[in-house]
Amino acid sequence: METFSSEYFEKLAHDIMFEVSAQEVAELKEEFKVLCQQIDVLNEIDTEGVEEMIYPFEAPTTFLREDVVENVISQEEVFTNVKNRKAGHIHVPKVVK
Amino acid sequence: MDIKTNTLESVETRIQKAIDKAHASQDKLNAVVSFIDPCEQIENLKAIDKSAPLYGVPMALKDNINTKGILTTASSRILDNYVPVYDATIVKKLQQAGAISIAKASMDELGMGGTNKNAYRGEVHNAWDTSRISGGSSGGSAVLVASGVVPFAIGTDTGDSVRKPAAFNGVIGMKPTYGRISRYGIIPYASSLDHVGYFTTAIEDAALLLEVLAGRDDQDMTSSYRKVETYASNINADISGKKIAIIDNVQEGVEDSEIKANFQALMDKLVARGAIVEHIRFQDNLMQALFPTYYILANAEATANHSNLDGIRFGMREDGESVEDVMIHSRTKGFSSYVRKRFVAGSYSLFVENQEKVFRKAQKVRRLIVEEVQKTLDNYDVIIASASGNIAPLSENSADEALSNESMVTENHMIIGNFGGFPSITIPTGFVKGMPIAINMSANAFDEQVLFNIGKAIEEETKLKGNDSEVKA
Repeated sequence: METFSSEYFEKLAHDIMFEVSAQEVAELKEEFKVLCQQIDVLNEIDTEGVEEMIYPFEAPTTFLREDVVENVISQEEVFTNVKNRKAGHIHVPKVVK
Repeated sequence: MDIKTNTLESVETRIQKAIDKAHASQDKLNAVVSFIDPCEQIENLKAIDKSAPLYGVPMALKDNINTKGILTTASSRILDNYVPVYDATIVKKLQQAGAISIAKASMDELGMGGTNKNAYRGEVHNAWDTSRISGGSSGGSAVLVASGVVPFAIGTDTGDSVRKPAAFNGVIGMKPTYGRISRYGIIPYASSLDHVGYFTTAIEDAALLLEVLAGRDDQDMTSSYRKVETYASNINADISGKKIAIIDNVQEGVEDSEIKANFQALMDKLVARGAIVEHIRFQDNLMQALFPTYYILANAEATANHSNLDGIRFGMREDGESVEDVMIHSRTKGFSSYVRKRFVAGSYSLFVENQEKVFRKAQKVRRLIVEEVQKTLDNYDVIIASASGNIAPLSENSADEALSNESMVTENHMIIGNFGGFPSITIPTGFVKGMPIAINMSANAFDEQVLFNIGKAIEEETKLKGNDSEVKA
């Protein structure tokens, strides 16, 4: 069975922008043993030639149209949920140093 | 309490009673995240025709539904200060129908869970026995209806998040067809599985609510153009000739003899009313694959959907030396350990090297499961089974959704409704050890009416219309 290092879980977490503690990594190692067994349950099912099902219904509901301005929120509304603002912008730490 | 009974009193009286009950039960049930001052909504009623279907009816909304100017946390720390600047489409529809929101109801964090134990503001307790779980993720909404606070409440359902807590709390839980109700303005979990659903205590109310909530919304590209039917006035409890398929794979996992007996007695009554009740069996390997397929797809979609929760533009921000630090700190502290671990599982299946063998494999198995169920629905009006093999578990014995190698078909079969988008309803059928039990029925896409019709027949047999813990007490 596939085994995973602590670093592997730390990388998976870091890729989606958070950290996992040593205890969480230990729990994940146990949980992934079961996950792999469950993936084996799926592998026993023959899906040769089967298309992926992305949504329950596949009738297209998108159309080409001209861009229309709608659902605009004001600058003040944007700022209502922002912790730091400065000079009319959302303020974050320096990106370029 | 059903809507008709609720509206026997004046608007002011029933709203005030609902608010008083919600406050009085909060210590015991912890079902509410935020109480809503209804004054402005009551004032706005002046512009609404008194014949509007929900005129002055108090209700609760799950806390993942965006409400302009009202805290909307999705029971997550990362959104514990988030006040939306817009209303979800269904909030507008409910307002136009005259409904008055009195509370935002607790849920499992971001909808991820089936116990309502994983909520930032704490566990929600069952309306019938507070030592037991409410079920989740729409636990707060279920409990507020089941305890007689409001006659209906809105939830969302990605796996069985309306239908399972409905079963555990003895109320009706309805999840219509995928695309029947707009999801615009609802904090997502897994977009290919997410549905809006709701709780009521009467079949007529469930039908009426669908009339109010359903319909095309250009702001949700998955919403359907299908005509919205007059479900409530079309209800017909004459079920003679209706074909009902009992899912044997599910019933075989029900071990409680009282639940089995209750189910069989109900089936006998439906036969006596002229329904054709037969047994069917889905391929066992596909049923065994239900939960793993769900686990892979839901976590992967959730991981992608929640990448916008970074503490920068909204939500709780933790400071850091760089933008990346801010995001990492905010997300590490903002999500519970449980949710972060599920995101790791999602990240794993989306990782380039695993996509084909895990994520796409699950999407293919999903199609096979749906095709298998559809073959039965081509020949039957509905499929039916116990909503759960158990009464609501004691909180101390209840862990949240985790993978296990034990057979999980009986407790997870309602996922079928999310995979195929089939309309699906949970209806209470009685009590075991003082706790409610229920059945679940699903039908062909957009055939909600048959669920209401057979549901009405069931309601007449069980005599549980208007059931809540207050009535029973």
